[in-house]
Amino acid sequence: MHFYLPVAEMSANIFIFLAMGGAVGFLSGLFGVGGGFLMTPLLIFSGIPPAVAVGTESAQIVASSVSGAFAQWRRRNIDFIMGTVLLAGGIVGSVFGVQLVGTLRRLGVFDFFVAICYVTFLGVIGTLMLIESVNTMRKARGGVVASARRSGQHNWMHGLPLKLRFHRSKLYISAIPPFVIGLFVGLLAALMGVGGGFIMVPAMIYLLRVPTSVVVGTSLFQIVFLTAATTVLHASQNQTVDVVLAMLLMVGGVIGAQFGSMAGERLKAEQLRFLLAALVLMVGLRFAWQLIAPPSDLYSISAAVG
Amino acid sequence: MRVMRQSGSRWAALGVAAALGAGLLMLGASQGEAQRRQKAQPPPPPVAKEVPHSPVGEVKRDQQPGAKESVQADVSARNVAVTSSFNGTEIVIFGAVDNSQQPSAESGYYDVLIVVEGVPGRLVARRKNNVAGLWLNTASATFDLVPSYYAVASTRPIDEITTEEFRATHGIGFQHLRFAPAFGQQQALSTEDLQAFREAIVRLKQKQGLYVQDHFSVAFIGRSLFRSTIELPANVTVGPFETRVYLFRDEKLLSQYTIRLNLEREGMERHLHAFAFGYPALYGLMTVAIAVAAGLIASTVFRKGAH
Repeated sequence: MHFYLPVAEMSANIFIFLAMGGAVGFLSGLFGVGGGFLMTPLLIFSGIPPAVAVGTESAQIVASSVSGAFAQWRRRNIDFIMGTVLLAGGIVGSVFGVQLVGTLRRLGVFDFFVAICYVTFLGVIGTLMLIESVNTMRKARGGVVASARRSGQHNWMHGLPLKLRFHRSKLYISAIPPFVIGLFVGLLAALMGVGGGFIMVPAMIYLLRVPTSVVVGTSLFQIVFLTAATTVLHASQNQTVDVVLAMLLMVGGVIGAQFGSMAGERLKAEQLRFLLAALVLMVGLRFAWQLIAPPSDLYSISAAVG
Repeated sequence: MRVMRQSGSRWAALGVAAALGAGLLMLGASQGEAQRRQKAQPPPPPVAKEVPHSPVGEVKRDQQPGAKESVQADVSARNVAVTSSFNGTEIVIFGAVDNSQQPSAESGYYDVLIVVEGVPGRLVARRKNNVAGLWLNTASATFDLVPSYYAVASTRPIDEITTEEFRATHGIGFQHLRFAPAFGQQQALSTEDLQAFREAIVRLKQKQGLYVQDHFSVAFIGRSLFRSTIELPANVTVGPFETRVYLFRDEKLLSQYTIRLNLEREGMERHLHAFAFGYPALYGLMTVAIAVAAGLIASTVFRKGAH
């Protein structure tokens, strides 16, 4: 059954996109990630114009993270002050990012830029995760209990002005580092069509030293609002949000996520991290291949933008 | 207990699917209604008209005072609706030669040439280059008046039907497409480069099924009746299409006829497109509202299902 997408302006097979939403939903439920870094590439590889893929996926991330954020809020796991500072930076970054998408599209290098971003970030994060999970698995086999060391040492960040008290995170630090992290994540969210949790979570744990109990909730809180803002910006500036495509992905996604989280309960945490790392690296390699393999046709055509 | 919980959330999953599916169905229903309304309306007045003969045609007719043949034609659908179920369409073009002197359909006495052209627009062609081992677009050329769709159908190869000169004047055949480099290009391009970009546009459009040339796709059915079919693929751009039908005898134009056909968004497709491009900020907010609703419905349903 085909459906003509109003913004992407192409006829799409409904079941393919429902299945795609379901599959990515399953994996995001399994690993507890947003899934943007999987869905956007899948959309691009299935022929959706990259800019439409990025814009539409931000809408789908709103749907998939809003229920998680809601659940975390019930459990009081959100540091609203931290979330707001991250979000403020995020929105500034997103405004720049959406502008950048428009400019890069006009220059005809958006596809290239998206591929570069994916290769870089997925490559680095995938590799780090792979090393970490392998180490944990090896230690577990050797009988040594891995302890997460977290030094409470003061670093250069504590010398910055504009100090704020983050009650939930039990932190008294400058607002500048979270703002900058938010800005960076906002920029990437707009460029790559991701929620940015894969950067936000490690940045909060390792750079800001936010307690793990509030990291996920706070990250989800800021992702919901950031991707909502990014969706509106993409829609209003670049007209690259396809509501029909977004709805297909949402339906598939919420259902897939339920089965994914059930399956996730049967796997060990380090096994999950190892599989996720492998997946992340595979997506990164796919983009790398696109960059280095000789294209089948040197020429391409597109409607003039702007 | 565990089994029950799981089946509970499975039911919940179905619940969400049903809720969101119902939303989609509602949209679908309103679109169906729009289509029905569309059908109820009286058919639009005919758009086809016999165009005054071009000077070229007139001269050639005068050279042949005995011949009084004229051609009339029409298409199977003058208004094609692009609805959400649109997946390309086939248009039948048929016509008749008045005062046909042709002894039979197979005689090959007349030649018919049909050109179908979509809306001309601006198009950017880009060329990739290897920079430090990576492939990226480095050169581009912008062209104006590039037809979104272009099809040539004829009874015989077009170079046997008519002269190069005539084809150039009337824009018949891929090499005579009238698109030209846009004024004020940022990059100055050499003639060879422009030619390469031009050829690339035609090649890529052919690959997308948007530029079609079929030398033997017009067939006479009787002494005067002929027909041809053209494929409009799913990726075709909406808008008006001009269909020009030429009647030839021994390389001379006897008559010409023009039909307009229109490809238009209808129903939900039309509303959503107009909304997305007419009120982009509001459209963005609506999309976010749908996403938030979907997420919250899912969370409520699954939470209930889990208990």
